[in-house]
This record gives sequence, C-alpha cells and structure tokens, in this order.
Amino acid sequence: MLTVALPKGRIAQETLEIFETIFGTAFVFDDRKLILETPDFRFLLVRNQDVATYVYHQAADIGVVGLDTLEEQGLDVIRLLDLCRGRCKVAIGMRKGETLDLSKPEIKVATKMVNITKRYFAERAVAADVIKLYGSIELAPLVGLADMIVDIVETGATMKQNGLEVVETIMESSTYLIANKNSFFEKKSEVLDIYEKINASLKKD
Amino acid sequence: MIFEHEIPEGSKLYFADSAREKRRIEQIAGDLLSGRGFLEIVTPLFSYHQHQSISDEKQLIRINDRANHSMSLRADSTIDVVRILGKRLDRNTAHKKWFYIQPVFRYPAEEQYQIGAEYLDENDLSKVLNIALDLFEALQMRPLLQISNINIPKKLVEMFDIELDDFRHINIEKLLALKLEWLTKLVYLQHLHQIDEVIATVPDVIKIELLKIKEISSKVAYDNMVVAPLYYAEMLYYDELFFRIIENNDVYASGGRYSNATQTSVGFAVYTDEVLEAKMTKGNR
Repeated sequence: MLTVALPKGRIAQETLEIFETIFGTAFVFDDRKLILETPDFRFLLVRNQDVATYVYHQAADIGVVGLDTLEEQGLDVIRLLDLCRGRCKVAIGMRKGETLDLSKPEIKVATKMVNITKRYFAERAVAADVIKLYGSIELAPLVGLADMIVDIVETGATMKQNGLEVVETIMESSTYLIANKNSFFEKKSEVLDIYEKINASLKKD
Repeated sequence: MIFEHEIPEGSKLYFADSAREKRRIEQIAGDLLSGRGFLEIVTPLFSYHQHQSISDEKQLIRINDRANHSMSLRADSTIDVVRILGKRLDRNTAHKKWFYIQPVFRYPAEEQYQIGAEYLDENDLSKVLNIALDLFEALQMRPLLQISNINIPKKLVEMFDIELDDFRHINIEKLLALKLEWLTKLVYLQHLHQIDEVIATVPDVIKIELLKIKEISSKVAYDNMVVAPLYYAEMLYYDELFFRIIENNDVYASGGRYSNATQTSVGFAVYTDEVLEAKMTKGNR
C-alpha cells in the first residue's frame, strides 16, 4: 500500500487521470473528503506547498509537486520522474521597457519564492533586498515597493496586464513525482512499479 | 522573550515515564553489551579533536580553554572513543570491545542521546550488527534493517558520468538512462534473494562489493531486511559496508566499518531519542 500526496486543484485532477489510465478504474474524491482509500493506494489531498512536507515526513510515500515548489522548500526527497505537466517558469518581471541591471548597488525584489530568489542573486554576488509577499506580487514594482518581482509565469498574461514583462527566466518548472527516501528503500518494488507505469503512460502521450 | 519554563530548541527533556523508559533502554543495552564482553567508557564532554573529524565545523559548539586553545562539546563519540583508546589506553589495556552511553551536542542546542559500541581492530561488521539486532529484539522492536556498501556508488561514479550527489538524491532517471541491464538490476535490487541474479551480471569491481553485502547478510538471522547497494549519504567515517536500522521515517541506529591510520574497526550507534519516542508512542497507542 502506497500513500500518495496530491496538491489540490488541477495537478491532483491530472495525476488522478494518469492513475485512472494506468489502472483502468475511476479515482474520485468524495465531496470535501481529503482521503481517498483504494485497495492499493491511499490518496491525500493537501495544499500544493505541503506535498513535499508530507512526503519528507513519510506521511505519504510518494507525491506530485511542481519543481519550483520543491526548489523553494529544499526538502530532501527523491525526484523520481518529470511528469511533463503543469509547465511554467520562475522568472524576473520588471516594468515594461526596464532592463535588468545587476550592477546597481541595491536591488529590491518582491516575491513569494524567497529562497529561489535569494539563491539566484547570491550566485551572482548581488546584494538583493528580498521582500516576501503572499499575493498580488505584480503590484510591487508599480507602487515602488520593489524594483522587480520573481514570480511563476505560465503565459505571461498576468504580468502583461499589469504593465510588466519577463526580463529573465530563473528556472523552468513542471510537476514531478517525488518519493520519501526511506519509503523508496522500504517499498522499492511498489515505488518502482508505479514509476514504471507512469513513465510508460507518459511515453504513450 | 524567553519564558521561564522554555528550553532551547533541539534540547531534550525527559521526565517521569519517559525518563524511566530511557533509563530502561540504556540498562538493557548496557547489560547486553557487558554480557558480550564490551567494557564501558565515558569520554570527556569537552574535546580538542572533534574539529579534525567533523567536516562541517559549524555543527560544533565551540569554546576555548585557559590557553585560548579551541575546544568543542562532544559532537561525535566514536572519534574520541577510538582516539583515546588507541593513543592513551593502549598502554594500559588491550581490550578491543567498548561501549558508551552518552549524549552528543551539535550547534546551536541539538542534544542527542546515544548508545554506541566500537569493536576495535575488527573487520567483520556482522559482529556488531548482530549485537545491534539483538538489542532491538530485547527492546521488542522489529525495525527494518538496510545494508549498503559505500564503495558501490563510489565505483559507479568512477565508471560513468554521474556524481555522488546523484546517489545522495537517488536520481534513478539518470542511472536508468544509461540503459545498462546490470545497472537497472542494481537499481531494482531490494531483497537478498535477488542478489545472486544481480551479482551474475555486474562488472567485477561491483561484484566484489555486492558479495560483501551478500556475505554479511548471510551472517544475520533477521528477515525484516533490505539491501540498498546504491544508498549513499555523506558519512563521517564509514568506508565500506554500513547499515541503518529504520522505522517510521526515523533512523534508530546506524553502523559500519571504518579505518584510521593504524587499524580497521567496526561499530554502531543507537539513537536513543528516536527509539524512546517510538516506545513511548507505541505505549500511548
């Protein structure tokens, strides 16, 4: 029996569809239920940012989560397989027409993703003042809170609507199948079995 | 603000039932190890030598002695046990089997109680592994035993364009992408009954190391066991076979073979806090 942590929303739906294709049976969460028990799997519906935490602490053996979230959290879990879904990028956005100048003595960056941002600027030996925000990141450069933002970009439409544009891509992201390290060794045949089946299903696509 | 009753994060507080259970675990371990011919050693809390062996000095809680020499709180017992026995007690005792029951301390306030055994000048890891397993049996626990050999990831790194980090993060996609049947079999290897089939296909340099896993496994009468030839973790001193005893995402014990300039020894440490937590949680259930 494997416990699978899925993030609520589109990724959970897409992942359950992959499982449905593989096993030829419907996996549907009852209304508002957070646990779905099946003979071989127990699915948990958790917040996107919590998937890796459930897996890291072995409350779930495997999980599905975006690479951007994994990089931000830095938890020691196994990245088993790129599911090639939920493609997006973590990018730097600035007001339209502005260019990224890393030689400025002080750079203010607003973001939800503090760790990825700090790492990016630290690697370039830039002293960035990183301001943590929880939402409406695009607002920050418009009202002078920050010189730029670091945010998730799928199509770029939200940035564009707010007069911003992508000036630099920090990383490309997609959803990954992850596993707890101890679960991998304890339940290796089960973990690798589902790995193989998902991999084969992806190749068919 | 610090509350009157607050204790630093990472420090340990046991009282009443948990303190009694901790004492019971240590008593069982002490009796068992004494019965197997191990003598107890209590090493100083302060050490001049920890920084020579612990690569990440940031983990040490450092202070200075009267002459302003750097000292640290004991962050690892094996280092001092081996050094003291090797250099100092050598003149007074030829005894090779020693155990300790004492905590270690890591920066800033991490305390960890340990029960450890060191068998000096001994090459056969099964001699201490079986004692560790007997201890868990005495504690009425049956956690999972994982047997690994650090030389296997190291040799694969020499053979292919892969890094030790790929093993640390268990990057199986990279290993499977090499499309080598024997390497794929090595990735899938989990149980002892599968090992002969893998041994038959791997190159000789890997075969030698897999045979060591097979040999030690055959000396252990314990069925809750996996072999994990590709497991790699940065370790202080283990240089060949090593084992972990795990359950519920906790490591209860680990041990292995290690060498210094003059001798090869084997030893293990039980992480008392994790074992205690498991015993107390089970009791509460």
